[in-house]
Amino acid sequence: MKGKKFYTGIASALLASSIALTGCSFSSGDESASESSEDAVTVDVFQFKVEFKEQFEELVSMYEEENPDVNINVKTVGGGNDYGAALKTSFSSGEEPDIFNIGGPTDVQQYEKYLADLSDTKAAEAALDGTLTSVKKDGKILGLPYNQEGYGLLYNKKVFEEAGINPDEIKTMDDLEAAVKKLDSNKKELGIKAPFAFPAKEKWVIGNHLANAYIAEEFNHSVMDAYEADTIKFEMADQMKRFLDLQNNYSIQPTLSLDYSQQVEEYFSLGKVAMIQQGNWVYNTIASMDEEFAQNNVGLLPIPVEGYEGIPVGVPNYWVVNKESEDEVVQASKDFLDWMYTSETGKKFVTEKFKFIPAYKGYEDLEIADPISQEIYEYVKAEKTLGWVFLGAPIGWTEDAFGVAVQEYIAGNITWEEVLEQSRKAWEESRK
Amino acid sequence: MHNRNIWFWLFLTPVILGLGLVVVVPFIYGFIFSFTDWNGITATKFVGLQHYINLFQEDEFMASIWFTVKFAIITVIILNIMGLGLALLVTRNIKTNNLLRTVFFMPNLIGGLILGFIWQFIFVSVFNDIGMLIGMESLQGWLSTTRTGFWGLVILTAWQMAGYIMIIYIAYLENIPKDLIEAAKIDGANSFQRFKSITFPLVAPAFTVSMFLTLSMAFKIYDQNLSLTNGGPFNSTQMVAMEIVRTAFSDQQMAFAQAKAVIFFLIVAVIALTQVYYNKKREVEM
Repeated sequence: MKGKKFYTGIASALLASSIALTGCSFSSGDESASESSEDAVTVDVFQFKVEFKEQFEELVSMYEEENPDVNINVKTVGGGNDYGAALKTSFSSGEEPDIFNIGGPTDVQQYEKYLADLSDTKAAEAALDGTLTSVKKDGKILGLPYNQEGYGLLYNKKVFEEAGINPDEIKTMDDLEAAVKKLDSNKKELGIKAPFAFPAKEKWVIGNHLANAYIAEEFNHSVMDAYEADTIKFEMADQMKRFLDLQNNYSIQPTLSLDYSQQVEEYFSLGKVAMIQQGNWVYNTIASMDEEFAQNNVGLLPIPVEGYEGIPVGVPNYWVVNKESEDEVVQASKDFLDWMYTSETGKKFVTEKFKFIPAYKGYEDLEIADPISQEIYEYVKAEKTLGWVFLGAPIGWTEDAFGVAVQEYIAGNITWEEVLEQSRKAWEESRK
Repeated sequence: MHNRNIWFWLFLTPVILGLGLVVVVPFIYGFIFSFTDWNGITATKFVGLQHYINLFQEDEFMASIWFTVKFAIITVIILNIMGLGLALLVTRNIKTNNLLRTVFFMPNLIGGLILGFIWQFIFVSVFNDIGMLIGMESLQGWLSTTRTGFWGLVILTAWQMAGYIMIIYIAYLENIPKDLIEAAKIDGANSFQRFKSITFPLVAPAFTVSMFLTLSMAFKIYDQNLSLTNGGPFNSTQMVAMEIVRTAFSDQQMAFAQAKAVIFFLIVAVIALTQVYYNKKREVEM
């Protein structure tokens, strides 16, 4: 008797909760509404660039107007690690996006079985030389570059002028050192707190960008070479140390708790330092602090590397299409990406609204919107670039091996030799 | 126990279902995955105890455990002293009693991430400026060394949680019969004696509860850690939860991270259960 009651209890409870659950699924009706027009194709985009979320959505709605039979849903999750985690989650939960983003060869390897061949797209054809190397595999092109990015030393033109420093004359480390000393001795008159703001708290600034300038050469400026290398030699270790020490010693202290937003917003945008090591992605942030300063007063110096006068330029991210989606969805995805990078409307959007440095041909007559990107594009056109190799380093190496070691060096816990030793070991171990 | 009728099960089932779906099933899955080479998308082979052997040889993981243990010990002591202290303060007959309670509890309403960023500003900028003003060098450069990072985290946690712990102590303090205290007063016990012999033993159950809460909280802390120091400098203020997330999502070693999480779970469970067991033993019945 008791047992029977138990089972009826369970049964009715299950029934009640299943009714409650169906109730929930009814209420989230907007998804089914979007599939209402019967022959519409729905493409789910999962992208990571928070900075251009709104602009991208604007472009998407323009595309949807032109192509009423295509429905594009955009989901944005920002930041490197967060995006990677969210992408993994959506794959393991079975909600696979149709278009998503990957970084470099390591991601290609992980997601390989999902990546559709994009060789037949117009965008792939228009992609600039070298921008596709890290997504080429077995003769297939698996991704389309987002854009190009470059970095160096951004400087405050006004401060340089007042200090009587001609940025065109800074070619070598000696020149830079002399300029920094000059800035440092005139700090008060120039109204700056220090020549640099060096955010040693941010492991990516050290581990990705600073390191890249001095290891690009030994990997022949190629991501793939770095990806295949069993070891790292640090051939330019002495130069790297000199540049690191210079930035660290002449920075606002303590560098170990200085972060990216302080560096860009609090110190550089407000004119409290003369130089920061950053790239074109900071433009919107600086402009939001001081539009006039961003437009007219920011210049770009290459990081001094012996034998090179160039800016490290590379493709930070790629668009890829999910092979497992239905054929018509794959086709629609390709069409959309093509339209974004090769149609007139798309091209205008890419340069004017996204403020991208294009990674494609056919943009010669278009004006790049922000001055930092413009300068980088000049270097690209003059072929004065260094490779962007850190995306080929072992997973986590740049930040958690090299970045951490440099932080310990800055804190005085270990010597420079130990930094190199530890980082080399970490590289070799993950390549075994 | 007699009232296990249809209503009992009707109300219980959704909870059990929910608990099963979001806690038990993923936990079992995770446990299984920790024995494979799962990379977040697929698991191809069974590696046995390999991850568990590796994790005890990894300096970073052990360092983060040690750091967390130190942090937990200090915060549990500070939080309980502060919580009880504040509770004693606001259960006296002061006019602003209710206002004070609200004020002390308020920090607990702010999310850990935001708190972390606020305190980061205080430690880095405000401390720096004050240090310059009064010429105290020890106030400068906070969060840029391991030691200051540690104390920064302790201060932040104490500030956030003390109000919450206070509420628990208040509940027990207000339950202490007034006549007991009065009787003690008449017998000539001074306020310290009254606290030592009456108040303290009678709030012992509150110790059990709040020690359990603070202990498990201190071990599982993540968002404050992320926003205040982000594990820096050189990952030396990285607590276990953060180390596990890093392993999973920066180093992309999902199964290894899962193994670490299992060990982490065991440590927290063992410590918390032992603590509750011993605290319960020395509680006195009223």
